[in-house]
Amino acid sequence: MTALVETQAPAAAPLAPPRAGMLRTLLSRPMGAIGVAMLLVALVVAVAAPFLAPYDPYESIRVTVFDIYQKPSAAHLLGTDDGGHDVLSALIYGARVSLLVGFSAAFISFLIGGLVGIVAGYRGGRTGAALMRFTDFFLVVPDLALQIVIVAIAGPSLLNIILVIGALGWTTSARLVRSQTLSVRERKFVLRARAIGAGDLHILRRHILPQVLPLMIANMVLVVSLAILSESTLAFIGLGDPTLISWGQMLNFAFDRGAVSAGAWWALVPPGLAIVWVVLGTTLLGTALEDVLNPRLKRHHLERERFPRRRAPAVDPQRPMELPQGAATAPLLSVRDLVVEFESPSGPMRAVDGVSFDLRRGETIGLVGESGSGKTTTVLAMLRLLPPGGRVVSGQVLFDGDDLLALGPAELRAVRWSRLSIVFQGAMNALNPVRTVGDQVAEAIRTHEPGIGRRAAAVRGRELLERVGIPGRRGRDYPHTYSGGMRQRAMIALALACDPDVIIADEPTTALDVMIQAQILELLARLSAELGMATIMVTHDLGIVGERCDRVLVMYGGIIAEEAEAGRLYAHPQHPYTQALLASFPDVAHPDRRLVGIAGVPPRLDNMPPGCPFAPRCPYVFDRCLAERPPAFPLTHGRRASCFLVEPGHERAAAAAVTAEPADA
Amino acid sequence: MPDAGRAPVLEVQDLRKQFRGQRSLVDVLRRRPARHVTAVDGVSFDIRPGEVLALVGESGCGKTTTGNLLLGLLPATAGKVILDGRHVGSLSNRDLLRLRRNVQMIFQDPYESLNPRMRVRDIVAEPLRVHRVGGTTAEIDGRVREALEQAGLKPADAYQHRLPFELSGGQRQRVVIAAALALRPSLLVADEPVSMLDVSIRADILNLLRSLADEHGISVLMITHDLSTVAAYADRIAVMYLGRIVEIGDARTVLADPQHPYTRALRSVVPVPDPSARRRPVILAGETPDPSRIPSGCRFHPRCPVAFEACPRVDPPLYELGEGHRAACLLVEPEYRAAAERERLQED
Repeated sequence: MTALVETQAPAAAPLAPPRAGMLRTLLSRPMGAIGVAMLLVALVVAVAAPFLAPYDPYESIRVTVFDIYQKPSAAHLLGTDDGGHDVLSALIYGARVSLLVGFSAAFISFLIGGLVGIVAGYRGGRTGAALMRFTDFFLVVPDLALQIVIVAIAGPSLLNIILVIGALGWTTSARLVRSQTLSVRERKFVLRARAIGAGDLHILRRHILPQVLPLMIANMVLVVSLAILSESTLAFIGLGDPTLISWGQMLNFAFDRGAVSAGAWWALVPPGLAIVWVVLGTTLLGTALEDVLNPRLKRHHLERERFPRRRAPAVDPQRPMELPQGAATAPLLSVRDLVVEFESPSGPMRAVDGVSFDLRRGETIGLVGESGSGKTTTVLAMLRLLPPGGRVVSGQVLFDGDDLLALGPAELRAVRWSRLSIVFQGAMNALNPVRTVGDQVAEAIRTHEPGIGRRAAAVRGRELLERVGIPGRRGRDYPHTYSGGMRQRAMIALALACDPDVIIADEPTTALDVMIQAQILELLARLSAELGMATIMVTHDLGIVGERCDRVLVMYGGIIAEEAEAGRLYAHPQHPYTQALLASFPDVAHPDRRLVGIAGVPPRLDNMPPGCPFAPRCPYVFDRCLAERPPAFPLTHGRRASCFLVEPGHERAAAAAVTAEPADA
Repeated sequence: MPDAGRAPVLEVQDLRKQFRGQRSLVDVLRRRPARHVTAVDGVSFDIRPGEVLALVGESGCGKTTTGNLLLGLLPATAGKVILDGRHVGSLSNRDLLRLRRNVQMIFQDPYESLNPRMRVRDIVAEPLRVHRVGGTTAEIDGRVREALEQAGLKPADAYQHRLPFELSGGQRQRVVIAAALALRPSLLVADEPVSMLDVSIRADILNLLRSLADEHGISVLMITHDLSTVAAYADRIAVMYLGRIVEIGDARTVLADPQHPYTRALRSVVPVPDPSARRRPVILAGETPDPSRIPSGCRFHPRCPVAFEACPRVDPPLYELGEGHRAACLLVEPEYRAAAERERLQED
């Protein structure tokens, strides 16, 4: 489902952003920009310490009692410490040690964690499991306690501190890298590289590392803040390198040597704030980096309707609403001039542009089109299940006299599902994995018939499952024990739970084998005959439509290009797109027909041609097609086509259209 | 058209692949043996230069595993793969790598099978670098250009520096094909090469594969579930069911007059884009059985609409029906057909 919506979204979402854009994206986020700025300040201070600091804090000076804990003054902006040294200068020089420890230790973590994670993820199996147990062990060991012990034994030199912090801080990085490597390893392009004959080293270097490295760097930035905190903690409890000034060391000396009792806040607060500054900066930057590189799953668009209730949208009077007046019976469902737009950074994009059609009781219609044609968007808009950013601009969906687009939430709920059900493609994702199938069917029945008892609902659910060909006892099983075909049957049972009048099947058999597909299609046909349901079959497969539908609507670029009764459409397609589509579609009964693809690609939503959407690919295109959008011209036998070639009076062009019919049609 | 006189590019003899089943702790304690899943169970076929052979079947029939075995992505349990006259199993690693250049793969999903961070040029040049052929940068450049144009991306310069996300689905699949062509292989294994593409794009990609076979003599093993594509593009067809080839022969002959009941059923459920030709499909009940529990005798008998007494007992070999058309069904043998006839009369 999501995949389908994605293909219709503006720019078919790139698998990974190109690198140049990353920095810009990062800086465009407040968190990222502030983090970068804060860290830059700290770095500049550390590098330029000798020029910025008014005194050299490492210089030994003669101290008198009066020099100790001097209040801030013009000479010493932040006062002096217990040794009579300038606090500001110590703070500036302290940045060097703190940042050095932070970045070096984080780099060590980055190397160890990256190595362990990549090897564990890429090798998998026993090696991977062993490495992960090793990682888990380090994860549960209390870092600080171990650091204290090791530094106490090995001696508090700067190098030891860096090594200890680095060697204990790699676990999160290893876990992160492993899971990323695991998922990249399964990607098809890695398999393809292996099929080429590439060795492990090549695959790691060219395919895995470039995907994993950005995440490793983001994680390293986060580890920097942890390392600075660790160093401060160690220094504070007296395990810092005594010959060097770091922020932790400053705090340590101040506390040890009576700064608190002397009321010398200036010796305590500045180093504390400095630590907070750097930790905050790295955390902001690291979090922003992770956000950019590892976008979390967006909320599913079926969860909740986003746009508030609207008043009945006005029907655009500019558009002619001519529909063939075929059958005498009033239609059950009428879509009138439906217009749907999606928000995008470059303004609204039209995904559905004035779609109108009727569905009569018991009829099966096919909505055919390629990805991006607007067929799925049309049915989602009808049910008000559009993804976030999608909006019905105008139009009506009249169902038994009510405009679905103007109903309130409660009224809508009463109609949706109970009278108008939808079966999505990819049924596997639409069933709740932790509840039995029988429960889910019974729940659907009870939601729409609150009066019915628990037991009665269970019995009805069982009947329903058997009706769709699932043995009643399988209702006690969970969805994961079902095969793909069985799950799709269960989804159909769910859709039937409330005896709907209309069932919308959105690519109901796309992921299924041909034999299972035939079973499901046969089931749908049988059910709609037995229950008198009308069916809308949304698909890209001209074969399925030809086989199962009474009437066909061909969609292209958000409009209905052609509508006709199935037999007539296949025998004499009128719209050049329908003609070309049929000419490109294989028919097992006519293996000798040479198939011709349609040159070019379907139009993108963000770049829709102003005239006829098919004009750029159309072999019969003329001036008018490029400038003006063709309305739906009614034809004989209740047909219509949106093409100037079939416009009454367009003799020359009409002749061209007739000769354009495929030879075997 | 395939050259029947020349030696086959690829010969597969009695290829088998078993996967070890997982044993749970309970299984180990009860000393239950691990259940083996036989994905490929004695498959033999050959492909001649310039021929397109389609390996057709439903998911789980072993067609993709067969393709992976040919590419060496999986080790075979038994059987012989003879490529360009040389037995693959007997070669040293270095010779094997050289031989592997001759077989390249085209994958199903062009959106997933390109590294999103690599430019088209690097993607197409990668096989050359991996196999250290092509030598100088200029030579590699030439071969990349040639492969891109062969795959229909003309002019090559317009595509070389693009990233995958800047290309349409059809163009991406052409890049995958170009990368496969860069090593000038003699055999392409195409696993569902168009099933992820838009309907209007598919014919062009299939026409491209067909022209590679016709004009450049490259053989193609097309792995697919779609019989209508096969009908239009394959020279020969091999229908697989539960790890075995149940029918093989000239594509037109097999589809016009299928001899195995499974092929007949499969042929009958292909949706035909022609409402005037609606007919009653033979819809088989149930699904393909679990390959760890292959039925006795003919593996298709539990679902077969015309099974008779002998089917659960006798495992039918591929009977020769003339002109390379073979089917693994007892009913093509006169004596069994007579027995089945008698059984039916008795029941009536």
